[in-house]
Amino acid sequence: MIPFAQIRTDFWTDLPGSSSANLKIIVGLLVGIGVIFALLRMSTQFRRPLIVGSTFIAGLYYILLWLWPKPIDRDPGEVATNPVEGLGFWLEDANPAVSQVRNIIAAFLIGLGVYSLLRIHVGKIAKQQKDWGFSLVLLVSMFGMAGVGFADWASRQGPEGAKLDNQANWGAINYVQDFLFDGLLQQMDAAMFSLIAFYILSAAYRAFRARSVEATILLGTAMILMLSLLGGISYLSDQAIEKMGGTDPNAFINNFRLTELAGWIQNSVQVASIRGLQFGIGIGLLALALRLWLSLEKMGNA
Amino acid sequence: MKNPATFAEKLQTCPKWALYLLLITVTSLPLWVPLNVPNKPKQDAMDFYEAIWKIPEGKTVLIASDWTKSTRGESEGSFSALVRILMRRNLKFAVYSTGDPQAPEVARNVVAKVNRERRAAGEREYKRFEDWLSLPFFANSEGTTGGIGNNIRAILGNAKDAAEGQAPASVLNSPVLKDVQKVQDLGLLVNVTASKTADIIVERLYGKVPLAFMVTGVMVPETSNYYASGQIKGLVGGLKGVYDLEQLMQYGINWQGPDGKTMVKSDRNGEVPGFAVDKKFLIGNGTMYYPALHGAVTLLILAVVVGNIGMFLGRKGGK
Repeated sequence: MIPFAQIRTDFWTDLPGSSSANLKIIVGLLVGIGVIFALLRMSTQFRRPLIVGSTFIAGLYYILLWLWPKPIDRDPGEVATNPVEGLGFWLEDANPAVSQVRNIIAAFLIGLGVYSLLRIHVGKIAKQQKDWGFSLVLLVSMFGMAGVGFADWASRQGPEGAKLDNQANWGAINYVQDFLFDGLLQQMDAAMFSLIAFYILSAAYRAFRARSVEATILLGTAMILMLSLLGGISYLSDQAIEKMGGTDPNAFINNFRLTELAGWIQNSVQVASIRGLQFGIGIGLLALALRLWLSLEKMGNA
Repeated sequence: MKNPATFAEKLQTCPKWALYLLLITVTSLPLWVPLNVPNKPKQDAMDFYEAIWKIPEGKTVLIASDWTKSTRGESEGSFSALVRILMRRNLKFAVYSTGDPQAPEVARNVVAKVNRERRAAGEREYKRFEDWLSLPFFANSEGTTGGIGNNIRAILGNAKDAAEGQAPASVLNSPVLKDVQKVQDLGLLVNVTASKTADIIVERLYGKVPLAFMVTGVMVPETSNYYASGQIKGLVGGLKGVYDLEQLMQYGINWQGPDGKTMVKSDRNGEVPGFAVDKKFLIGNGTMYYPALHGAVTLLILAVVVGNIGMFLGRKGGK
């Protein structure tokens, strides 16, 4: 067992702040910048093989991680005894680093989104195009929320940070953050979501009609499931049917308790349908993933 | 001159504003009067409750909290019920998120709220870093979840959290994670979610750690699949699930309460105790909102029935 607070160190997991970790970060950064510049200057003809190659290698890593025999009960510092085990060790050791790289790439997408918003809305404000006022509100909100969020985060980083879990210890910035995040953003989020209830009611009233046999079956099934959501109704109807069944807990009529009917629909009909659906989606995704991995998708000239 | 509308037409043309007004009324009124609606907890919720009570002493629970206030009606109730049970059992837990950057702060606020309740009830507060950890948002759900299955300490090792009066330190130094060397050392992984993270967790962690899910009502059909196949130990689905869980917290399963009555019986579960605490601390979101759900669903059923009656009368030409 690895001792308390100790993590295994190897090529992929240097301790944060160590000189070798810093060196790898600098080298990685320089190589990354170099690759980006090289890609920008490269002609489309040469860019494509590079992208196809890196996509293939990235996909290959996860394919191997999934299929290659995995180390079982591996001790720290254990040395591989054969090439198969060696590759298994390497894939396992690399996984946290690869996961972090994926996290960083995903985080870059946020930066890309901010850049895109800035490009569109700053231009709109500068040219005073139609509804430029909304663009201004958007940018002020975005930077205001981010700025206050960072300031609140910074206030929680010191030794006194955990004390801020108690509202009595809050400063001005924490109140501003609370007002913006909990008072405005979260409430607007909830309000937007709650509007769905109005649309569902209106749509159900106008469109949920027993116009055909199929629609009638759907309507009947939906009614049983909706009634089963009403604890009061399902409890009382179950009690009534159980009384009709007398003292025998296995009486046939007990199959018609509302909870039994709803359970049968969910477990026998719904689960089977969803499994079939997910199976189909899974096969489709597999085909799509293969096409992306092998760069068979036609996506422009890049 | 335009002919007056027939009865059938009137039944089918209730104005939108009237429907909306009715909906606002039936969902708002019950919020002022919390009712204890009779209920029969579903088997999946009972299995969830039992799964938490079966976690061995000293094990840590990892919570993937992937919800925000947009689904607070269901998810906040689920999350606070979960935190209450874990605190009751004195189990340590760590909360992380891969679903939404807002999720960690929302989760922290709920833990702080439950701590305030405990303080008011004269019970021990859960201390950050010592008893529970607030882990950050991880931007990539697939990579992070896969990494947790592969090497949990390496994935969580860069995260920091702080005890009161202390500088932030690596979460690996916290008593919460000290005995967690690999994902198999966790007692349970609970996903409180309103998004696709449930699928990602089953795909990458099933078989490595016991799983249990708390999902929103619309996710119940797809998530029931995992419960039916035995891939997850229990499922709390939607507001009904939250209400079930709050009832179980009160009455237990096959358990004689302080009044000597066994309120919830199950052939499939063993004896699981409930809480014998002041009732005002058991009025969670489930108990609070369940009557409002009754109102909304009843109105929905009535609207469908009225619309269909109107259609049939219209077909027959009745006035």
